[in-house]
Amino acid sequence: MDIYLLEAIINGLLLGGVLALLSLGLNLIFGVIDVVWICYAEVVMAAMYAVFWLYTFYGWPLLLACAAAIVFATVLGLLVHIVVIEPILGSAPINQLLATGGVLFFLQSLATLLFGTDFRNLGIRLPVLELGGIFISFSRLIAFGIALVGAVGLFLFLSRTYLGTAVRAIAQDREVMGLMGVNERRIYVLTSAIGSGLAGLAACLLVLQYDVHPFIGLTFGPITFMVCVLGGLGNMIGGFIAAFIISQIIAVGGYYFPIEAAEVLAFVFFIVLILIRPQGILGK
Amino acid sequence: MGKTTRRSVLKYSAATAALAAAGPLAGTRAWAQAASSPIRIGVLYDLTGPFTGAGSVPGSIGTQIAIDLINERGGILGKHKIEPIKGDAQSKADVALNEAERLMSQEKLDVILGIYASPEAIPLSEKMEQAKKILWITIAVATKVLKGKNLHYTFRPGVTADLYGAAAIGFLKDHAKAQLKIDLKKLKCAIIHEDGPYGSDTGAADALHAKEVGIPIVLDEAYSATTSDLSSLVTKLKRANADVILHTGYNPDITLFLRQAREAGLKFKMLIGHGAGYGQRDKLKQAFGTDLDYFLNVDPVAAQNLKPGTLKPELEQLVKVMVERYKKVSGNESVPPHVSMGFNQTWVFLQNVLPKAITKYGGTDAEAIRKAALDVDIPEGGTIQGYGVKFEPPGSEQAGQNLRAAACVTQAHGDVEAIVWPDKLKTANAVMPLPKSNPYAA
Repeated sequence: MDIYLLEAIINGLLLGGVLALLSLGLNLIFGVIDVVWICYAEVVMAAMYAVFWLYTFYGWPLLLACAAAIVFATVLGLLVHIVVIEPILGSAPINQLLATGGVLFFLQSLATLLFGTDFRNLGIRLPVLELGGIFISFSRLIAFGIALVGAVGLFLFLSRTYLGTAVRAIAQDREVMGLMGVNERRIYVLTSAIGSGLAGLAACLLVLQYDVHPFIGLTFGPITFMVCVLGGLGNMIGGFIAAFIISQIIAVGGYYFPIEAAEVLAFVFFIVLILIRPQGILGK
Repeated sequence: MGKTTRRSVLKYSAATAALAAAGPLAGTRAWAQAASSPIRIGVLYDLTGPFTGAGSVPGSIGTQIAIDLINERGGILGKHKIEPIKGDAQSKADVALNEAERLMSQEKLDVILGIYASPEAIPLSEKMEQAKKILWITIAVATKVLKGKNLHYTFRPGVTADLYGAAAIGFLKDHAKAQLKIDLKKLKCAIIHEDGPYGSDTGAADALHAKEVGIPIVLDEAYSATTSDLSSLVTKLKRANADVILHTGYNPDITLFLRQAREAGLKFKMLIGHGAGYGQRDKLKQAFGTDLDYFLNVDPVAAQNLKPGTLKPELEQLVKVMVERYKKVSGNESVPPHVSMGFNQTWVFLQNVLPKAITKYGGTDAEAIRKAALDVDIPEGGTIQGYGVKFEPPGSEQAGQNLRAAACVTQAHGDVEAIVWPDKLKTANAVMPLPKSNPYAA
């Protein structure tokens, strides 16, 4: 096989890891609470800033800064849920969408106000891995590995724990579970905390690969949303599979065609598949 | 209410007719009577959004410094202070258009000055043409803003994308054979650029000028500036095995590309950036340390980088003040070329256009400013960026474009941004190919 094609396929796999990690939390929240967090990528952005400030300004060790950023994202997500989502849980979906859209602009503007519009980065240059003439991005390899661990961990939590079972039960039928005495509110809060904690985890990995600025969410937000819809909004395994399909189309398509055409190809694939299966790959 | 009689109507009509007949004169007189009235101009830059980090904010600071300096000297002709009415285009063309509408219709302004991004400059110049109001572009470089449009109300004292291409290829023509030991006809060049008007026009200019001198282009590809992944592009560049990469981008696409290029082991003999993100050396240094030392960049001259003695003493003094103030306002030690662009283009407008519009054409309305702008004739060496100013007149290929604008090629030599091309401005010899110690060096 052409070594460059192999490199493109590996790049696609690694990009898929990044997208899969981003889609995990968003899918979990939608699957359980039934509200689309359009502002999800902005929570990621806020957590990226947290890593940046703690690491570069306060000199915290990177791992400690990352742990703190995950806690920060979790708290931020809880705030978003309690202040914005909870009061409108019974509203029409369009109102919920507009409300989380409002949070998106709020977080962008707040970041601009607090940190300015400068592009900031950790200045960390991770080692480069070379295997048989193929170069592999170390930071993406870590993201890929953690996405896999995150997905497995989330799967085990949902399938093997009491709380996870409650989360799944609420996702299946929120009205009946309420009648059976399950505290829906507590499950929603837990779900928001886990979902936004995953955003914090994604932020820790993205901050190694991308500059932080108030609008970084625009780079990931639309494609993450596309991945979730393609996989079946709310279906975590579907989102995981969709992340790798889209990333391979972008990477391998970009190898054979102009990279802009590859992105068009990914969107064409998305549109065609949604026309055939409006519920997404694994959606019901 | 007074009774309307035939006599009063006649008296009023006669007075109105007299006023109409004396219209132009009355206007001039009214202007003269408003002895110290401020001149209000719109200033429109991207103060939020992705373009801010690629030079828009430094450009806006340059403009403000020029306005402050003029006001401290008493204003235009020593009596009319400049009152900037600011707008934020938010790095979006539709917002730029809305802000322009606000500045024109609500603020009643005849001039909008600024504009960093070419995707905003293109629709804006057409809007201003329809409204017959002045657009004074300080930074946006896309050639198609003016080329073939025959615009009467848009002026650009700065450079075009075409001049970027001419400078990059001009440099290679003069240096490639001697320093890379490769004949131009065998020099493998790759052109990569963001897909907006700025990147597309600059990439097209690179390709055109390369073709003129016989440099083969092994890859010519566009990408979206907001993309999340450029690894496929890097792989294709590795496959093409280019000697020289000509790159036009904003930021953070440039940092994304360079980071992925390093991780993927992309090697080349030289990379030539084309302004915008590459003009922000301090930002690149934060991310890459010394890895980007000796990378080349094409841009209009950053005035502070000119050899001492190149400019007249009064211009050198102006540059000194501009640099001091920029450092104080921004808190940055590095002064990107966009500061000079914002300052210089504004300075020309305030110093060479407005005074003449008032004294020769009777005011500061769009028509008077347009005529005054067409009269401007600054010889080479007459501005802080080293070039002169003479606008192409209406009816010509690039009406409104400064015929005397020029770009130069610079190279990062440690903390010094040395000018390495053209020879007449050179402050150091170009280092090429990249030293072996550079992680990108082939």
